[in-house]
Amino acid sequence: MTRIADTTTSAPAENSNGARPRRNTRPYRALEPGRPARIGRGVLLFLAAIVTLFPFYAMVVLALKPVGPIILPDSLVPWGLSLEAFERVMGARTLLRWTFNTLIYSVVSVVGVLFFSSLAGYAFAKKRFPGKEVMFWSFIAMLMVPYHITIVPVFILISNAGGVNTHWGMILPTLANAQAVFLMRQFIKSLPDELFEAATVDGCSEWRMYVSIVVPLIKPILATLGVFVFLWHWNDFLWPLIVGQSNDMRTLTTGLASMNAENVPLNVVLAGSVVAFVPIFMAYLVGQRYFKEGVTMSGIKG
Amino acid sequence: MSVGTLVSTRRRPSWREARIALLFVLPCLVLFVLFRFGPTLAGGVLAFTDYTIGADTSFVGLENLRRLSEDPLFWRALRTTLTIAVLAVPLSIGISLGMALLVRRAFRGHRLFRSIFFLPVITSLVLAGIVFSWIFSSGGPWSSIMGWLGLPDQAWLSDTTLVIPAIVIVAVWGRFGFGMLILLARLQDVPRELEEAALADGANAWQRFRYIVLPELYPALFFLVVIETTFTFQIFDTVYVMTSGGPANSSYVLVFQLYDQAFRYFDFGYASAIGLALFVMTFIVAMIQRMTIGRER
Amino acid sequence: MRTRKVMVTGAALSAVLLASACGGDDGGDANTGASEPGELEGSVTMWTYPVMADETEHRSFWDDTIAAFGEEYPGVDVTVEIFPWADRDQALTTAIAGNSAPDVVYFIPDQLPGYARNIEPIDPYLDDDAKADYLPNAVEAVTIDGQMVSAPILASAVTLTCNKEVFDAVGETEYPQTWDDLREMAPAFKDAGYYMIAYSGDVSQTLNLTFYPLLWQAGGDVFNEDGTDVTFNSDAGVEALTLLQEMVEGEYVAEDMLTAMPPTEQTQLAQGNVACAWHTEGKNLVEFWGEENTVILPPLTNVEQVAYGTVGSLAMLSSADDKDAAGAWIAFVTDAEQVATYNEASGFLPVKESIGSLYDGDPILGEAEKYTDLTTVGPLHEDAREIMGVLAPEIQAVLIGQKEPRQALDDAAQAAQSVLR
Repeated sequence: MTRIADTTTSAPAENSNGARPRRNTRPYRALEPGRPARIGRGVLLFLAAIVTLFPFYAMVVLALKPVGPIILPDSLVPWGLSLEAFERVMGARTLLRWTFNTLIYSVVSVVGVLFFSSLAGYAFAKKRFPGKEVMFWSFIAMLMVPYHITIVPVFILISNAGGVNTHWGMILPTLANAQAVFLMRQFIKSLPDELFEAATVDGCSEWRMYVSIVVPLIKPILATLGVFVFLWHWNDFLWPLIVGQSNDMRTLTTGLASMNAENVPLNVVLAGSVVAFVPIFMAYLVGQRYFKEGVTMSGIKG
Repeated sequence: MSVGTLVSTRRRPSWREARIALLFVLPCLVLFVLFRFGPTLAGGVLAFTDYTIGADTSFVGLENLRRLSEDPLFWRALRTTLTIAVLAVPLSIGISLGMALLVRRAFRGHRLFRSIFFLPVITSLVLAGIVFSWIFSSGGPWSSIMGWLGLPDQAWLSDTTLVIPAIVIVAVWGRFGFGMLILLARLQDVPRELEEAALADGANAWQRFRYIVLPELYPALFFLVVIETTFTFQIFDTVYVMTSGGPANSSYVLVFQLYDQAFRYFDFGYASAIGLALFVMTFIVAMIQRMTIGRER
Repeated sequence: MRTRKVMVTGAALSAVLLASACGGDDGGDANTGASEPGELEGSVTMWTYPVMADETEHRSFWDDTIAAFGEEYPGVDVTVEIFPWADRDQALTTAIAGNSAPDVVYFIPDQLPGYARNIEPIDPYLDDDAKADYLPNAVEAVTIDGQMVSAPILASAVTLTCNKEVFDAVGETEYPQTWDDLREMAPAFKDAGYYMIAYSGDVSQTLNLTFYPLLWQAGGDVFNEDGTDVTFNSDAGVEALTLLQEMVEGEYVAEDMLTAMPPTEQTQLAQGNVACAWHTEGKNLVEFWGEENTVILPPLTNVEQVAYGTVGSLAMLSSADDKDAAGAWIAFVTDAEQVATYNEASGFLPVKESIGSLYDGDPILGEAEKYTDLTTVGPLHEDAREIMGVLAPEIQAVLIGQKEPRQALDDAAQAAQSVLR
């Protein structure tokens, strides 16, 4: 269930394995902008930052206002705050349930995708077996197929298997992640063969070798890919909307969209939005590097 | 162990190795057969049936495609989708490029700015849609700004023409940080010596950008065009939250029609035909990318 | 077909049909009246929707009801799930297709024909006294092919609600009764800085509450008699849409709800800038206008005087495993006493004779209750809800000045052909 992004032509992204040779280390003052240019740049950036951040500001401030009509500009000033909207949104038991569903959907998928794709990626990168090339390239071909084409058949399949309104029905189809297999294989391929063969000769069992050699070696990509898969699931909308229709099976995104359609006061919906945003924002503050690498590497909107 | 043994083990693909490798690939293979290969084929086949819930299915040949070609809503959705792509892709990449150039050199706070500009990329489009619905509502901040500027202060989401720019703005807001990072990574590779030499030769800032920096960025820009185009072809979340395709179907996009046909009318056959159209569009973009990249190398 | 007289006749007719159906159908079918409550075993899952706005209250109402039911039927395990209104048909169809459908569902009449093949008629599971106690129009609303397919539990009358404060400010002492009244009053309201009406034109809004009342008032209907074609593009339909067009062009309609659905508290309507509206029940506006300013009026008249009123009912799906248990649960919940409690808690109107008037003297619900005879439940057609999907955007096209009424309705009728099965 990966939105298409063809990385086979190598995304010119910030690379995760090994730093690029940096050529821009030697200071040469003449290339630096002069004082007027610096001021101009500062002003432009400042304005751009305001425009970028305004929706976040509005979301937080309006969520903290007493529930009622929003009148400009009074409603945007950061005083006269109240927790009413939060009390109302948290009072409805569903929001906790949605958060729980989102966590299950995201965390289980991350673990599943990382596990299955690292197994396959390892085999594709370092093993020799019949049909390897065909198999690998047919996996990669799936990057070309937009997620929306398969969504109907996948839904019919899951629905016939009784997976509608269940966690497994929501999670299982998303584990077939072509992007992850591709990136895993590329990463593992870049590791020297000797690292693996030494272990083979030492008589390591394949499984123990995977656990004790491969997994430690691929930690960097596990982190980046994990963050990306997590982000993608946390923000996913269409698939959870289709497969998790009951109130108890909604995720934060589909739940908030339903709240928005249900005539819930805007302040309350925005308070719910803040609740949905804060975890991912905190994670972003802590692991910015992984977010940037994960998203740019995969070329996909999370 | 000697290099010789290593090479010899490497040469001989043993049955044991193949078996283990297949075992490692197997879980992924099963998942892919069930959820990617199978459904891709099924999606193609369904487009030629009248599959729906709780009724017998039969092949209807090209009926769905004929219906598609005569469906004014489909052509409208296609046009809307393409319009959004034509507006959003250059705008988004243009802003990405501008921002990347602005935060390129190290200065105090440049990291902070990069982080700020990237923030929308990790934000759910549903949240963005909820907030922007308010921003664009009548009496909301956007119409107030328009009023101050002496422009008509109507609600953009209620206007058949302006609803498209409104959706484009949200798409660009949510995407430009991504392009910025891609371009920043590439800007690191621009040989500084070249720029310095050009400067010494008296090239001004524009000339240095045009003849030294920009050529370095072409592959990245091209990559962005493809990614952003595919992305805008698949816009759904914001339309669902902000407009439901309205007013009067003027923001009705292809994926929304696919969703409507499949999960509101349960006309899975027809929905698959729309999916097929989407696939063709994506495929064409990818092919153009292939051809152009091939030529550049 | 929409007048009171015809309505009553229709109800009487269906009551006769009903009586005969019961006589013929009871035969071999399981009847809960016969089995001992204590012996009945099974589990029942019910889907309902936010009928009470306050989720916690709603939840606790059902928890209490389940507990009370459990005392009588200790062997039956009941689960009530509250689904959101939005996309509820989608959720249900999906569940039916995926074999994860509930046993009992809350339906309104225009949904019933679409699900008829999935519904187990409730008729044999209700005893004769219970059936006889129902108000005739409630029975009519849930009767398909002479059988009661579901058990009504609540009713509503969505007539016309006006804001007294606005009328006072404008100095208008009369409230509108006809379309012409609206036309005549509107300019004065506009001059005083108010909107005459609000029209909720978002595509996700049901047309039962917005356009259809006008269509009926103009003497038109959505489908023809035998349901083979749509008739909303009749002269009556054009007249109805032209009224809206006139009102919009005169700037007498609050534009914020015209094509979108902002949260109620953000609207001109809630903020007291609109004189009248017919798409929502008066009780929903009390919170914003205050009880003293919320005036419940009879439906508007043009050719006919008619408004939308729903009949909420519980139906059993044919996929239910423990039909007797589900039937017993529905019978229990729709018992007069339970229904009265439910209606009072949720602010809906009763559907049983024996309950009498719940809201006598209440300025809001008591008034609404008076007009139930003037309401209709909307088109009972298999594709009723799909038709809304093609009609609503075309109505929007008129509201934003893109199309003329006749053109828009003809286009919608054209598009409806692919929906009609």
